[in-house]
Amino acid sequence: MDVPRTVTAALADRPVDGATCLEAGAGVGKTTAGLLTDGADRVYAMTNDAEHARTVRERVGLDHPDRVAVVDADLVATPLDTNSVEIVTAHGLCNVLPPATLDDVLEELTRIAAPGCHLVVDDYEPLPEDAAMRDLFAVENAARELADGRPALTFYPAATLRRLLAGHGWEFDRERTLLDPVPWTANHVAAHANAARASARPLPDALGDPLLAEIDRLVAAIGEESTGTMYSLAFRLPG
Amino acid sequence: METRPLGETGHDSTVMTFGTIALNWLEQEGANQMVELVLDHGVNHFDVAPTYGDAELKLGPKLRQYRDDIFLGCKTQERGYEGTKRKMEASLDRLGVDTIDLYQVHGLEYEEELDRITADDGALEAMREAKADGVIDHIGLTSHGNPQLILDAIDRIDDLETLMFPLNPVVAGKDDEDHDYQAVLDRANEEGIGTLVIKAFAKGPWPSTDDLPERDRPYANWYEPVDTPEETRERFDFAASQDVTTVVNSGDPKLVAMTLDAASRYEAMDEAAQRSLVESARHDDSPVPEQLHH
Repeated sequence: MDVPRTVTAALADRPVDGATCLEAGAGVGKTTAGLLTDGADRVYAMTNDAEHARTVRERVGLDHPDRVAVVDADLVATPLDTNSVEIVTAHGLCNVLPPATLDDVLEELTRIAAPGCHLVVDDYEPLPEDAAMRDLFAVENAARELADGRPALTFYPAATLRRLLAGHGWEFDRERTLLDPVPWTANHVAAHANAARASARPLPDALGDPLLAEIDRLVAAIGEESTGTMYSLAFRLPG
Repeated sequence: METRPLGETGHDSTVMTFGTIALNWLEQEGANQMVELVLDHGVNHFDVAPTYGDAELKLGPKLRQYRDDIFLGCKTQERGYEGTKRKMEASLDRLGVDTIDLYQVHGLEYEEELDRITADDGALEAMREAKADGVIDHIGLTSHGNPQLILDAIDRIDDLETLMFPLNPVVAGKDDEDHDYQAVLDRANEEGIGTLVIKAFAKGPWPSTDDLPERDRPYANWYEPVDTPEETRERFDFAASQDVTTVVNSGDPKLVAMTLDAASRYEAMDEAAQRSLVESARHDDSPVPEQLHH
């Protein structure tokens, strides 16, 4: 699998070679692939999404059965030992963690991090106020709040995560811009629209229908948009 | 327009090279005007080939008028000694000039071709002879083939002075060896070989001929090009930011002025913006959304 340049850039200055790593929130395994390419000794690709777990196994795990363990687990209570991991990555993870969950996940990641562990957090700054994508995310969040009582996405400023992680004992190392602007392609727009529709459809018609209509309108209006920035933060746990 | 050393040839090429295939689709008067336009923008490196329709003939009058201002690259698809000599003479005749500044092996694709051109009776022998006679000044190679083959060519041709190969955000986003033109660029720079980028403006393949018959295509390119000023500028800035010497315009004459404008206003693209383009192309390339994030 092609390793995105965002991942390559985020890992470029980390000592991945020979390390035991955790990809927290593995998605389809892009960072796992990047960690393996950079010589990781072992990668735990952790996700609570069964479909993602299957994808990572097929795309990355089969080629590296001795180096990849796909772990289907919740990030607030992982099966990994305390002080067991040397590099933790959270690439595009935090924005899918609601504020009520974020701190618990960071606490768990800190528990399993060995002294001297490196942590890489890659995420998106809140979108500019005039961004059309911001409206789509707002509708996606509205639908998800009504359906499940939690937001679909929360874009944490880099400064917020820095302060939060400092509170967990992580020392800030560096920040770099991964994407500027962020290309929200037609595929991204469609994927977020579909996620919003999935939340809106089960709602009572009086709530769901206006949301579905607004989603359709936004998809047609946006097409694609390049806006906002994606950042990479690196931290170190004192050894 | 910015210029950069073309490897160790001693020539400083403008950051845009005029791919004169564009002249093929113009009448002579239009071709003359286009060359004037290109020169007005300060472009000093032109590239032509006998396989570009009658581009050599249409370039001829203005080339002769401005011969001292133009670094002329030409090519041949011949692989043997005799054929190369013949094609070189034919090009000189059609262009109406006595010398060619850069003569290139055109479109290397297969290992056997590399064996053939490097053999005693191969194309390179004819080129070296012409160089010794002062008919050509420099020897180059072009390929959109396997990057490993191009690397082999660098190893096997000691007097190779320039390379022309594809580079764009779609190619840059692929990790496999078949797309590793970055390795070619790195090696070329190590060896002091000048680099010319092609396909910088390729957006993707044309729709199938069932959906869009060839006669209905809006551009004379064999791939679908980007065609807005913004995209053209992004693509140019991306390509020219890759530590290359020069970027060749896409072949349709309707797009040349836009590319000249982009080249004239070239600004180095920072890495975050480069990644943005690569990401954008990577997702465009994917037929289904894989994930919500980048």
